[in-house]
Amino acid sequence: MLLIALTIALGASLATGMLNVVLGVEEKVNKELKNYGANIVVKPKDSSLLSDIYDVGEGSELSTAYLREDELGKLKTIFWAFNIVDFTPFLDTQVQISENASVKVTGTWFNHHLDLPTGESLDAGVVGMRSWWDITEGRWLDEKDENASAEVMAGTALAERMGWHAGDTVHLKGSHGEKDVTIAGIYDAGGDEDDQLFTTLDLVQFLTDRDGKVASIEVSALTTPDNELARRAARNPAALSSRDYETWYCTAYVSAICYQIQEVITGSVATAVRKVAESEGTILDKTKLLMILITALSLIGSALGISNLVTASVMERSQEIGLLKAIGAKDRSITGVVMTEILITALIGFAAGYLLGFGFAQLIGQSVFGSSIDMDPKVAPIVAGLIALVTIAGSLPAIRMVLRLRPAEVLHGGH
Amino acid sequence: MLIALLSIGIGATILAGLVTIYVDVPRQMGAQFRSYGANMLILPKEGEILDSDHLAEVLQKIPQDELIGATPYRYVRLDMTSRQQSFTAAGTDFTQVPKTSPYFSIEGAYPENTREVLVGKSIADTIGAKVGSTMELTYQPTALSENLSPEESRVPNAMLSGSAEGFGGGMVYVSLKLDEKGVIESLEIDAGTQTPEYGGRVSEDEAFLAQFTGKTLPLSPDKDIDALSGATVTSEAVVTAINTAQMTEKSVKPQTLNFTVTGILTTGGEEEGYVFLALGDMETLTGSGQLDVAELSVSAGAEQLEAYADAITQDSGTVRARLVKRVTRSEASVLEKLTALVFLVTLVVLLLTMICVSTTMMAVVSERRREIGLRKALGASDGSIRKEFLGEGLFLGLLGGVMGGILGFVFAQVVSVNVFGSSITFQPLLLPITIIVSMTIAALSCLLPIKRAVAIDPALVLKGE
Repeated sequence: MLLIALTIALGASLATGMLNVVLGVEEKVNKELKNYGANIVVKPKDSSLLSDIYDVGEGSELSTAYLREDELGKLKTIFWAFNIVDFTPFLDTQVQISENASVKVTGTWFNHHLDLPTGESLDAGVVGMRSWWDITEGRWLDEKDENASAEVMAGTALAERMGWHAGDTVHLKGSHGEKDVTIAGIYDAGGDEDDQLFTTLDLVQFLTDRDGKVASIEVSALTTPDNELARRAARNPAALSSRDYETWYCTAYVSAICYQIQEVITGSVATAVRKVAESEGTILDKTKLLMILITALSLIGSALGISNLVTASVMERSQEIGLLKAIGAKDRSITGVVMTEILITALIGFAAGYLLGFGFAQLIGQSVFGSSIDMDPKVAPIVAGLIALVTIAGSLPAIRMVLRLRPAEVLHGGH
Repeated sequence: MLIALLSIGIGATILAGLVTIYVDVPRQMGAQFRSYGANMLILPKEGEILDSDHLAEVLQKIPQDELIGATPYRYVRLDMTSRQQSFTAAGTDFTQVPKTSPYFSIEGAYPENTREVLVGKSIADTIGAKVGSTMELTYQPTALSENLSPEESRVPNAMLSGSAEGFGGGMVYVSLKLDEKGVIESLEIDAGTQTPEYGGRVSEDEAFLAQFTGKTLPLSPDKDIDALSGATVTSEAVVTAINTAQMTEKSVKPQTLNFTVTGILTTGGEEEGYVFLALGDMETLTGSGQLDVAELSVSAGAEQLEAYADAITQDSGTVRARLVKRVTRSEASVLEKLTALVFLVTLVVLLLTMICVSTTMMAVVSERRREIGLRKALGASDGSIRKEFLGEGLFLGLLGGVMGGILGFVFAQVVSVNVFGSSITFQPLLLPITIIVSMTIAALSCLLPIKRAVAIDPALVLKGE
């Protein structure tokens, strides 16, 4: 009996642990995939085409449409606010650094502190959105620092060409203002961004006299992989039936989040960065499927193991059952006694296993993702049902076989 | 006995299956991550030119099974004269694009023939282009700087002009036009400074002039051209002038071609502002087959990628390789987490399965206490009983291990095909390991119950207590 309890406990813990990991893995992996940066880009509705298509110099009068900086906080008020992990605004300009040299400067948030109307607060900015940057010299620009608005970060390619180092002072001359700034750090982005400067949004707004204006926003959001409905909705949400619309709106599809962003940011167009959004979907689906199959395998394995053992233990008790029969016990009462005993054992095993499985799930969560895995309330009944099914399935054939035996033969010791 | 065998078999199946999957996961997942697009760029070195031959050479350095795709790109500005607009156009190889940029979402289809284009969504919206509509694109060569070398000037359709010192210190001027294959189409010679009845004849003598048509530059004075008799010095000056001739400004005529739109591209990125056409069309338009960049998608770990990039940059005189850090870095960190996840899951499942197997084995052996007692009563020594049971356990372990090793591989194959759509590599080492592990577990789990059974007085065991 002890062995059965132990085996059931192990099987139950396996099932509990694996099911919890499977149910929690999507969220965890999704968070990890945020490393790839923004999956949504928000641009002003009118100018999004012009400056992209024509080689219009920055600061020219063509790109007149902007987003409002004071509306950025609203991103955390949409239906899927909880899924918005990070975001950062951008505003570019071209500045003179000497008589005949100019560079691109991007104003943005680094670790901008936001106090939301909901009472929450968060630090948003490129520190989180550019996780692949290497700071080769100096440090990240810190917006909590008093001198933050007189600091810039330079890309390696630019710094190398100009012979700049962290701590150097550079004079920036924009279209509507100029300022001496200190290089806080030099970053290696491994891309086009290596040939420019990054600085605070305030500074670029000052240099170009565009107070409170933002040219684009990058948003990093946790999303659900697209399905057919999401694809249909992305084309035209108005064409959906009201029921589909509701399902779509209340699911964290990237298109639904884009739609909700457009609702709160005036005059904006939010588009999914397919490169990131699509890949996330693929990887999430694959990971989930892989985990489900591994779980299925281990569940089948432990189910077979348990029912095996139960069969063996019932057979072992053929003598006892034979004796009961010999002294006049009815088949039904024998079955009742044996089954009750096994089910009680299974219950104890399940209780112990559930706790153990909880431990396993946390062990995996902590060591792989560095955070605990939420216990899904669905798991307990599923595992309990599974264990009951497996135990009964394992004991039934054995009991039937034993009941068919003749007491005299069994007691005699022959089979 | 059958129960014990079954339980060992299940244990071994899980062991072999999970370990096979675990070993293969980084490779399989890595391939999935390639949907993020290119992770390596091939660029020309400073002052060098990248073309498809260089690219093919570079690709040799990367194992073919790791190379998912390599897409060449050439970017130029093209004008759409009818609408007075100009776009960035990318010349590329459409058979490779879906491999390096699987996230491209296309309404319509990729171009398959020449004179077909793929248009970015934001351009399509601006000009109102639809699948099937036509557009006329013009390549307007930019004004050339005067210091273009003679070698660089010899592009198809170029107009060249040059000069050289002729007889008596007077200059001979030539202007020539190349056709679309880059060979001389027409030639004009100004030899006004030369003696009219000798050197001066070079500009008029038809037999002499005819020699030049269809020749490839540079000319070799002795082989290609027979000097005009009595004007050897001037004839040589003509050849020198042609060989040192440079392209003059605006000497290449604007090229205009008509294209059919086969697809509209949506990416959510800057590609939506581009027009994509085949490299062949690009070459016809611009008269040169050079490339700006090639995007490579390589299925390899971060360190391996760096090694490839270093090797390419060092070995080649003309190109350098750069990694797309955003992709490689993030992939490394996510992949590491996923591998750790599968590792831990595998470990936990294996541990629990092995314990399950040994409890079952224990139960099966304990059941045979009576048999052990009987043998002891008949005079069997403890040692011989132990040996016999151990042997039996080992045999079961062997049988279960072989069975499980094979079934496990089948299982891993099923998982791999279902999840990743590709077959798994068989790990030959895994079969012996599975067998050894199952034999060890079977033997170990036999030992404890045998020891207990042997220790008890046979009479008590036989009595059934």
